[in-house]
Amino acid sequence: DFLQRPQISKCRSPEMETFSCFWTAGNFYNLTVPRILQLLYKKSNEEDWKECPDYITSGQNSCYFNASYTSVWTPYCVQLASKNEVYDKKCFSVDEIVLPDPPVHLNWTLLNTSQTGIHGDIQVRWDPPPTADVRKGWITLEYELQYKEVNETKWKELKPRLSTVAPLYSLKTARDYEIRIRSRQRTSEKFGEFSEILYVSFSQIGIECDRCTEEVEFPWFLVVVFGVCGLAVTVISIMLSKQPRLKMLIFPPVPVPKIKGIDPDLLKKGKLDEVNSILACHDIYKTQLYSDDLWVEFIELDIEDPDEKNRASDTDRLLSEDHLKSHNCLGAKDDDSGRASCCEPDIPETDFSTSDTCDATSDSDQFKKATEKEEDLLCLDRQDNDESLPSFANTDPQGQHRNTQSENSLLWAPFGDSVESSRPSVHTQISNQNSLTSTDFYAQVSDITPAGRVVLSPGQKSKLGRAQREGCTEQNFTVDSTYFCEADVKKCIAVTSPEENEPHVQEQGYNEDGYFTTESLTTTVANLGASTAAPPSSETPVADYTSIHIVQSPQGLVLNATALPVPDKEFNVSCGYVSADQLNKIMP
Amino acid sequence: MSTKGTSLKGLLLVTLLVSHMLLTKEGVTSLPICPNGSVNCQLSLEELFDRAVKLSHYIHFLSSEMFNEFDERYAQGRGFIAKAVNSCHTASLTTPEDKEQAQQIHHEDLLNIILGVLRSWNDPLIHLASEVQRIKEAPETILWKAVEIEEQNKRLLEGMEKIVGRVQSGEVENDIYTPWDGLPSLQLADEDSRLFAFYNLLHCLRRDSHKIDNYLKVLKCRLIHDNNC
Repeated sequence: DFLQRPQISKCRSPEMETFSCFWTAGNFYNLTVPRILQLLYKKSNEEDWKECPDYITSGQNSCYFNASYTSVWTPYCVQLASKNEVYDKKCFSVDEIVLPDPPVHLNWTLLNTSQTGIHGDIQVRWDPPPTADVRKGWITLEYELQYKEVNETKWKELKPRLSTVAPLYSLKTARDYEIRIRSRQRTSEKFGEFSEILYVSFSQIGIECDRCTEEVEFPWFLVVVFGVCGLAVTVISIMLSKQPRLKMLIFPPVPVPKIKGIDPDLLKKGKLDEVNSILACHDIYKTQLYSDDLWVEFIELDIEDPDEKNRASDTDRLLSEDHLKSHNCLGAKDDDSGRASCCEPDIPETDFSTSDTCDATSDSDQFKKATEKEEDLLCLDRQDNDESLPSFANTDPQGQHRNTQSENSLLWAPFGDSVESSRPSVHTQISNQNSLTSTDFYAQVSDITPAGRVVLSPGQKSKLGRAQREGCTEQNFTVDSTYFCEADVKKCIAVTSPEENEPHVQEQGYNEDGYFTTESLTTTVANLGASTAAPPSSETPVADYTSIHIVQSPQGLVLNATALPVPDKEFNVSCGYVSADQLNKIMP
Repeated sequence: MSTKGTSLKGLLLVTLLVSHMLLTKEGVTSLPICPNGSVNCQLSLEELFDRAVKLSHYIHFLSSEMFNEFDERYAQGRGFIAKAVNSCHTASLTTPEDKEQAQQIHHEDLLNIILGVLRSWNDPLIHLASEVQRIKEAPETILWKAVEIEEQNKRLLEGMEKIVGRVQSGEVENDIYTPWDGLPSLQLADEDSRLFAFYNLLHCLRRDSHKIDNYLKVLKCRLIHDNNC
């Protein structure tokens, strides 16, 4: 029993047109002394306190201010006082104390039922509280609907809405529901009182649920949740587990695109030379070089640009490497790095000084060698129907293993006899762009270097005597059995505008071997006949050659093994072929 | 890992954007503009009123929230409430105070009153937005709302001028306007006094925004829906 002062409990306006204040009397005084509590009010712009105009309408301990006393946005102060004492005071403005009456005339209609008849949708309608003048827009109301099953305790809520209709979905037709609604002014936070409860019973309108026994609902939700969690846990544990086999079983590695023999990382990050070397080992890339006809029309030749020689251009290297590497792609184990196929440690360095190691480094040396090779190729590819026999000289790399020319002749002399016999076979193997009868000199150009060198295709390459490259003056054409390119000769003879297919003449003093068919040589020589220089080949011992054992891709020929002892060092792998026994030596 | 980081950031950004959009859905969403976009494009009066009502409701909503936040944060325990029956600077404007008055006033006059109140608040809102930032440790939400209210008020003023141009037959009265001289009080050195000045201003703002919102709804129902909203 503690003392309670009389106090104003609340002031409320239901429609923003009138308002009422309520108070509690408290037990301050004993009941014998009549207490006269007054409610006084004052508008902010007034000086005097006035007494409440209506103590009755709102009930006991209340004061009702009707519309004439109400000014909406005017601040009021009310105080609860008796004659002597002020017990409580409150200040407010009417717009702040708006609490609407509950909605009226609730009803519901059936929208539809599910196919099984277990669930149904209904729509609830109601009217705004009659006191609120919504139609004239004086007050804007928001409604909140709550519903629950009859025997439940907790109400479910819908979101506040402005309209006076609300659908309720998926109610169970076997159950009864209760619905109640309350409203508030739109920008307020507080809701008014709840409306009367509306009872929803499907049986009332004749919806009977046949199969609606008290079923235990399958806890689908739980099943799904737990299933997903378990799956996630399993997946994560597998991913994190150290067992590679299990991991491989569940998550097989996705095969990345891979070309056998090429390491994709190398392609991304490796040096260009390495890439070149690797690409060169694969025939699929080489075949690109020999596409027909594309290049014939677009040959550009720059004459004598000495600077170009020293430019280690990528294309040069690519091409040169290509030619170089092709011969090394034998008997290598593929370990997917792409380089193993180029690894042939057994091949002596005579001819492919740059190409026997996998880490083909680019340097000017290599470039020079490359250009050498190109020239050989060029010479070789101009296959004409020469009758003169080729002569073989040892291929001579730059500064290494230089064979004397006498050796050359010695070396290859025994072959001479077999030349004739093997001519047909050789000839058949030769790329078919040569015709016996054709006296025109042409060859198919397979590629063009930026330096203007033309790479002719395909087929046997030869290393031609480059002895003449230093210049005609230096060379002694007739010295040995070295056979060299017509181009060289021509160049020496007449430095004229190049033919389409005329290659450069390098000023290098090498003796290279060249292998020609007899036909080609003959033709070449025949063409040379016009020129003054006597082809050296005519004076040299008859070039020797063997029959072709295997034609290995466009750039290689494997010759038949002969009885000729071939020193290991002088590995007579010319521009593009190995003899069979040499091949055997190479291969493990 | 960097891609994971960026994707996480992207996800976070998207989440923030979506949540911002959802939280501020009370705000004014973009309304369809004139379909033609040409000179002759004219919104109907109904659409103009719709937009104006939306704006005014939004402004009142923001003002309410801002006042509540300020009240919670600064006004507790300072007895501001008792003193908050101070008059607002717009009290000198004669505005309808109850439904009857609002019903009886001519719509042109009511429109002019609305315009007058809006214009009178132009200046205070600008200063409110700037001065509220000087409050010590002002919450970001209050700062943001102040700026937003000021912007929206401008837009509402423009819209109202358009409506007035359409509805009014005669000349537009421009003289309903009250100047505001409360800036010095917002800059008082004494923190209590300064905060009380803010409290007052925000209280007045809430009230006046409610007035404008109500008047506009009444006008809309009267003019567009013929008293049958």
